[in-house]
Amino acid sequence: MERRAFLGLLAATPLASAARADAASDPPTPPAYKVVTRFAPAAVPGMPGPFPGRVVRTRSPRAVDARGADDAAVVREMMERGMRALTAEASTLAAWRCFFEPSDVVGIKVNAGGRPFCVSSPVIVAEIARQLLAVGLRPEQIVVYERFFNQLKQADYAPHLPAGAAIHAAERGNRATEQRDYDPATYVEAQFFGEEDTRSSMMRLVTERVTKIVNVPNMKDHGATGVTGCLKNVAYGSFSNVARTHARGVTHTLSAVGTLAAVEPLRSRSVLQVMDGLRAVWHGGPFAPTPRYLFHPRQILLGTDPVAIDRLLLDVIDDKRKAEGAISIWDRSPASLRFNDAVARDADPNVNIMIREPGHVEYAGRLGLGEWELAKIRIEEIEV
Amino acid sequence: MSLALLVAALPVLYWDQPTTTAEDLRRAGIETLRVPKERVAEWGRAGFAASPLTSEERALRVTLKPPGIAARGDLASATRRPWIDANGWRYLRQPDGRYFETSPRGVAVLAAAEAFVHAADLVLAIEASDLEVLGQALGFFRALPEAPLPGIADLVVVDDGSFATGELMNLLARRNLLFRPAARATPEPPLVVELGSRAYPKSEAGNPDALALKVRAQLSDERRSLRLFGSEVVLARLAGDAGRLRVHLLNYGGRDVEGLRVRVRGSWTPGAAHVLQHGRLAVEAVLVQDGATEFSLPVLGPYAVVDLVAAP
Repeated sequence: MERRAFLGLLAATPLASAARADAASDPPTPPAYKVVTRFAPAAVPGMPGPFPGRVVRTRSPRAVDARGADDAAVVREMMERGMRALTAEASTLAAWRCFFEPSDVVGIKVNAGGRPFCVSSPVIVAEIARQLLAVGLRPEQIVVYERFFNQLKQADYAPHLPAGAAIHAAERGNRATEQRDYDPATYVEAQFFGEEDTRSSMMRLVTERVTKIVNVPNMKDHGATGVTGCLKNVAYGSFSNVARTHARGVTHTLSAVGTLAAVEPLRSRSVLQVMDGLRAVWHGGPFAPTPRYLFHPRQILLGTDPVAIDRLLLDVIDDKRKAEGAISIWDRSPASLRFNDAVARDADPNVNIMIREPGHVEYAGRLGLGEWELAKIRIEEIEV
Repeated sequence: MSLALLVAALPVLYWDQPTTTAEDLRRAGIETLRVPKERVAEWGRAGFAASPLTSEERALRVTLKPPGIAARGDLASATRRPWIDANGWRYLRQPDGRYFETSPRGVAVLAAAEAFVHAADLVLAIEASDLEVLGQALGFFRALPEAPLPGIADLVVVDDGSFATGELMNLLARRNLLFRPAARATPEPPLVVELGSRAYPKSEAGNPDALALKVRAQLSDERRSLRLFGSEVVLARLAGDAGRLRVHLLNYGGRDVEGLRVRVRGSWTPGAAHVLQHGRLAVEAVLVQDGATEFSLPVLGPYAVVDLVAAP
């Protein structure tokens, strides 16, 4: 069955978050999106899943040691207590069984773009794999994935995974020459800046192989979206040809991130969000080629609602930027903008290379992907 | 020049080396040459079909810039729509023209493919290191099934011979907006573009990329005979009639493209793809719906051709 949906110009109505914005540099009007997919949504789509508006935050000062290494035992306890709290189950196994069953093939969507200093922690990924094995999956039913193999290779997850688990990338690198690992029948079509290639196709891994996805983003600043968290990681990390959404200091990520995340089967199969906040990047993201902008929140956020978690992330990054004397991620002043000048951006945290769109989180909330309003987000804090 | 003359219109190698290099040419399968006048006899005795390229003829031929891509520094790093140097629009504009091109190392095959696709009269000077691949390409062109089909255009560009109109053609070609130059407006295609008309004032010619985008919007992507997805560095030419269609694909990126998606209007049954440097390959993921046919190429080297027949 071919299901087509045409998403309207949702952002034509001002977002609440736009009140923070400089009216002189309003977000660009979203293009007309055409979504093509043969997949119907699950009865309860994975996003926002069974726990909309709910976030469990586990913290431990011992999660990362003074040398910057993750403590596996502490991380394991953070994960176990967090999962039990999220699901209100008495045992960790029962908590994981709320989401997974032995017949599942589970994709672990990591973020390796911030290599070498801020990628999805191999210790967290290993703990997820360990719990999936406990549920009854065989190692062959676990796939760690990203879009680009060169990033995965540098992040080096293999030593942390059970023998037989797969590591999968759609492309060798970001060269726009490899499309065979994308599904030509599941795509979003839109024209942003007059580009000829107007399609972004979903990875075949998502449409043809995995039955569930655990999304493991980092806490990172992002030059286009303000932050890159759950939504950006799973959306831009599962579709081809997404970099076309920004050019010349302007980005369409406000609408594109949520639109892509909402496409089936990605939306239904993304059943668990594990935000790795052991370490974070407060400027220069999504990359982290130097430790200059690295910091250590030493926390993990767990939930099924990517919007609620990303709403908290916005404040984590913005608060840190304020503490460092940097402009806000909500800054839209043309005076801060030096588009396409990554060198200036990397040297000065008061430089933007494009006008960021942190409102993408609220936009995704309005697409039904989760709860945006802070007052309605229930946070359970756990200290380990 | 008609596509029926494709075989006769293969580009010809210009070779100014002595016959001590004859074995290299034989190994490459190249037997027809243009050579300096003083070397004609020498190459003839060596068994080659050698004809002279005089300095006068060379000067009369239009000198072309080698095809390829150049990165654009004015775009954010994440959005890399490269600048394509292509000669197809020149061949379309002046199909009876005579051309000369000096190809730097690694470019000979693409230069030859451009000329072949447009049945252009091209004399091509190359680096000796490209002899073998050029020979393979010429052999590939010769072996393709003949398809004497007319070119397909979605719009007419009224050609006043000006630089501005040439630039517009250049930018239209880069966007795979299939056009046909004409001396005057004709009613057949859905859109006629004439610089200086009320719809296309000459003031808009200052930004030919924006003008090409305007033309695209007026035509609409849905009405385009051909679309490509999965690369911004592949240019196409389409030829056909009611029963057959031939898609030529030229890859300017210098790297293989895997999984290029092709969409053509109408209901068609694609045959195998003939892919230079990769051979005959089955196309993948064929889909016929909404008045269009889509398929993917497993891999595209510098050039490929796909023939389609009308679906029953």
